[in-house]
Amino acid sequence: MAKAGRPAATDDGVRRPWGAILAFLLPALTVYMALTAYPAFRTLWNSFHVVLPRRETFVGLDNFVELAQDDIFWHAVRNTFVWAAASPLIEVTIATLLALALYAKVPGARFFRVAWFTPVLMSYVVVGILWMWIYNYDWGPINATLRALGLDGLARPWLGDPDTALPALILVTSWMWVGFNMVVMLAALHSLPREVIEAAELDNCGWGGKLVFIILPLVRPTLLNLVVLSFIGKMKIFDLVWITTKGNPLWSTETVSTYVYKRAFEWSTFDLGYPSTIAIVWFVIVMIAVLALTRAFRVRDKLEY
Amino acid sequence: MRHRLARAISAVVLGAAVLAGPGAAGAATELTFWSHWAAEMPKRSFVEAAIADFEAKNPDIKIKTTWYEKNALYAALKTALRAGQAPDIFYAEPDQVEYMDNGFLLDLSGLNWDSVEPWAKEAWTYQGKPYGLPLEAWTVELYYNKAKMKELGVEVPPNLQFAPEAFADLVKKAAGKGITPMALGVGDRPFPGAHLSHEALLKRLGTADYGKLLAGKLPWTDPRVVETLTWVRGLADAGLLPPTFSTLKLAEAHVYFHTKPGALMFINGSWYTSRAFNEPDKGGQPLDFQLGIMNFPAVPGAVCNECRTIAVGGSYVANAETKHPKEVTAFFNSFLRPEVGNLWLENVKVQTGIKADPGSIKDPRAAEYFSMIAATNKGAKYFFGIPIQVMTGKPKEVFTQVINNALPAGNITVDDAVRQMSAAY
Repeated sequence: MAKAGRPAATDDGVRRPWGAILAFLLPALTVYMALTAYPAFRTLWNSFHVVLPRRETFVGLDNFVELAQDDIFWHAVRNTFVWAAASPLIEVTIATLLALALYAKVPGARFFRVAWFTPVLMSYVVVGILWMWIYNYDWGPINATLRALGLDGLARPWLGDPDTALPALILVTSWMWVGFNMVVMLAALHSLPREVIEAAELDNCGWGGKLVFIILPLVRPTLLNLVVLSFIGKMKIFDLVWITTKGNPLWSTETVSTYVYKRAFEWSTFDLGYPSTIAIVWFVIVMIAVLALTRAFRVRDKLEY
Repeated sequence: MRHRLARAISAVVLGAAVLAGPGAAGAATELTFWSHWAAEMPKRSFVEAAIADFEAKNPDIKIKTTWYEKNALYAALKTALRAGQAPDIFYAEPDQVEYMDNGFLLDLSGLNWDSVEPWAKEAWTYQGKPYGLPLEAWTVELYYNKAKMKELGVEVPPNLQFAPEAFADLVKKAAGKGITPMALGVGDRPFPGAHLSHEALLKRLGTADYGKLLAGKLPWTDPRVVETLTWVRGLADAGLLPPTFSTLKLAEAHVYFHTKPGALMFINGSWYTSRAFNEPDKGGQPLDFQLGIMNFPAVPGAVCNECRTIAVGGSYVANAETKHPKEVTAFFNSFLRPEVGNLWLENVKVQTGIKADPGSIKDPRAAEYFSMIAATNKGAKYFFGIPIQVMTGKPKEVFTQVINNALPAGNITVDDAVRQMSAAY
């Protein structure tokens, strides 16, 4: 047995300074327990209760049963999945093309790198207001351009039409995040081994061949990481919707996050049980989706290599 | 040496201040007060003047005021009330039944209710007890531009109410001349688009059946409801509303009506004045604007064309956990005098739940406005509250999305709207 005040010996004879380890871990553990573990546990607890001020009632699975029959929730789930599926494809595809253009040192590459990256530096509030102007029916540049081209029939309130509101918002997030994806892709391109590319060039491999057979396979892990990151980001999207449409019209832009907020703070109730149920169910869905994505990519990796 | 002396004097002064501080603070009771209307200067100025007057007469009571915009206030209150950190007095509206449901509000039975309009007290009565000081009251009014009406060669009937066919003709005539018949938008509010349907349904059903409809005790599949919504949808299809209806914000709808591009009509709460009577460069109507007010048109098959909605809006309530209920009651009672009601009418130019005399108004613009309001409300039978003040939970959410937005925007059929409303209860 180790003497008090002295590090305890392990099986291999190395003494571990448990006091110091604990001292270093304690602040981080405390913050983690207080701000992550407890809220997560509390949300799970709430999901089985009706949680009103000064009283909580256990309701078992009632909240989950109600949620299964809540068509607004399923509307929000569908919208969020559409967003999370479409955005990564759009963002990563365009970002790859732009990164390749910069990698090939097109004229004005420095300017374009800054210009394309700038949107990601803006907050969703600014971006939301900016695009509400762009989409304005009367004087927004999109409708103004359409009218100038004699295409008046195509002008519409882009954020006010249930058919166009969600695609219009997906376009906004794509515009905003393409720059971030582009910079990551550019870094990946610059870190490619020169000798492999030079060997391909010695074999008279053209740009298309290098892209398809050398570059894309080598940057594939980066691409997949960007897809997963974008997917997770869109599964949580809230700010842009809240600023622009608040889920309108006809729930066509409602996302799970906006619906949770509405149920928690805008529904005529103080109950936090039902919103917690939505949060728990959505957490599980997102977790499964991310695991499925990761697993799918890993399987393909095994097949290829 | 001089520095030491200065430090010693400072320490003595500071010590005296620290010792005197609690005694001085303890002499006055401080009431904390959170209110909406941070940017609505007429209302804010009125309340600030009332507070100053109260403090002058009650030097032992101080009101510590914090001004908010409505959404920020509501979000702050939800958290503060849960945490037991809410102010003594705060702004609320009668649709916030969750406050009463959870016992957050002080029973205000002790107020001088004789100075309050009975319908306004009723709006704040929950399970037999009154909970709010009903400062702001309003009716749903149909405003019109007299000049544009003249331009169309149409005269408003003497009873200020168009027949259904005449109103439909008016809409078509205006749309045909390139004038938007009615400025309206739901870009930032959950209720303006619903004014069309709820006023029509109220007239068609009468107050009793309309109340049952909102409470879910009369089905939305009732033929009278379906016919009325079809009539409303027909008006929308005839080009009643601007193409920007779904995204047009309330302030923009005001400007759309009276300034640019200009519309023939505008349906809104009678608090229209709180924006339109500002200076033109602050969103107010042009000084030479010819404002008219008429009744909502008669509705086909209506049983009560004189029925209309009256609502209590901005009010003040007290925290049930306040440590100063007597002071709060005294503060609220300081509002409940006819001269205060008159001051509200004169300065804010919106109706109030406090008994007041519109005849006492000296400002000619306000006097003319209230005489027009009196004309449209002559012989009216009232239903209290707009639907989102009466509904809660899912019916309220579906009503907001479907009846307020999608139906008048033409994004949904009447059958689908009825199906969704039926499923919401």
